[in-house]
Amino acid sequence: MNEGSLLSGGWLWLAFVLIALATHLPRGSFIVAGSRARLPEQLQRALRYAPAAALAALVFPDMLLVDGAIDPFNAKLVAGAGAFVVALRWRNPWLPFIVGMAIVWLGRA
Amino acid sequence: MNESFRRGAREGFRAFLPLSVGLVPWALVTGVAMRSTGLSVLEALGMNLIVFAGTAQLGTLPLIGAGAPLWLIAVTALVLNLRFVIFSAALAPAFERVPVLQRLLSGYLLVDGVFAIGAERMLASTDRDWRMGFFLAPSIYAWVLWQVFVMCGVLGADALPRDWSLEFMATIALITLLVPIARARPMMLAALVGGVATVVLREMPLRLGMIVGIVLGIAAGFVAERWQSRGEGR
Repeated sequence: MNEGSLLSGGWLWLAFVLIALATHLPRGSFIVAGSRARLPEQLQRALRYAPAAALAALVFPDMLLVDGAIDPFNAKLVAGAGAFVVALRWRNPWLPFIVGMAIVWLGRA
Repeated sequence: MNESFRRGAREGFRAFLPLSVGLVPWALVTGVAMRSTGLSVLEALGMNLIVFAGTAQLGTLPLIGAGAPLWLIAVTALVLNLRFVIFSAALAPAFERVPVLQRLLSGYLLVDGVFAIGAERMLASTDRDWRMGFFLAPSIYAWVLWQVFVMCGVLGADALPRDWSLEFMATIALITLLVPIARARPMMLAALVGGVATVVLREMPLRLGMIVGIVLGIAAGFVAERWQSRGEGR
């Protein structure tokens, strides 16, 4: 996918370093600084919603958009919905991948 | 390593073992997704070592693949990792009087699963060595397991055909993360608003639509929570 536009060389490694910083600063924050520092409670409550909003912001465009336009009848949306339902219903960690990818492939056949 | 560290290590490992099975498909998918985005084997293994975060890796791959601006990649990773600020704040009392090198290592190793099984018991224990054993053993085990299976995915990806849309597995992995989140109603609202707003605002310059969408999602969840708790208070 998107072969020509992939970040390359030094930019790519710089991106890795930035992602690593964006990961390890939050992880280490209070463990390293110690528990004397405290996060305001309202902020802590608001932050709990960040992962949900961010995950959906990544997933929705991938399922709803085909070449930049909204297409509610595409195989990836059905596959994503299928994977969601399967993950909701069964605990097997492989099943969402099997079902989701099977639907994507069937949609192209 | 004294006796109570070893006892903590054994108990922590045993508590995490059942949960760790779930890491395997997740790690394989991350490995395959990095390769199908176009990273070389060396780049993929390098990213996995220095980042060591499935969600942040899978979440930024589409952006890396599309050549998105660096700041957007960094902000996206940061937002996906904000939950760790909360985990870190919650665990901090358990790391009091622990040497700073061990605390740095613990920060690098902190993952959702170990926090989920360990936070309560670590905070309840008064034995510092037991706590460190209880945290480090499953964390190091999770790290090894993750590195091994990501490597399997990275090296195995070449054996898989190019035209299988395998990068969609990254999306499926992110969807499975949404499942436990979406069980609470304000969380589901945060996700719906964040996702729909990002799609609607996709024409905004510099992909600002995604950031605006995420902020709207957080706000929606926060407001919904306040309404919900006000309703219960009545």
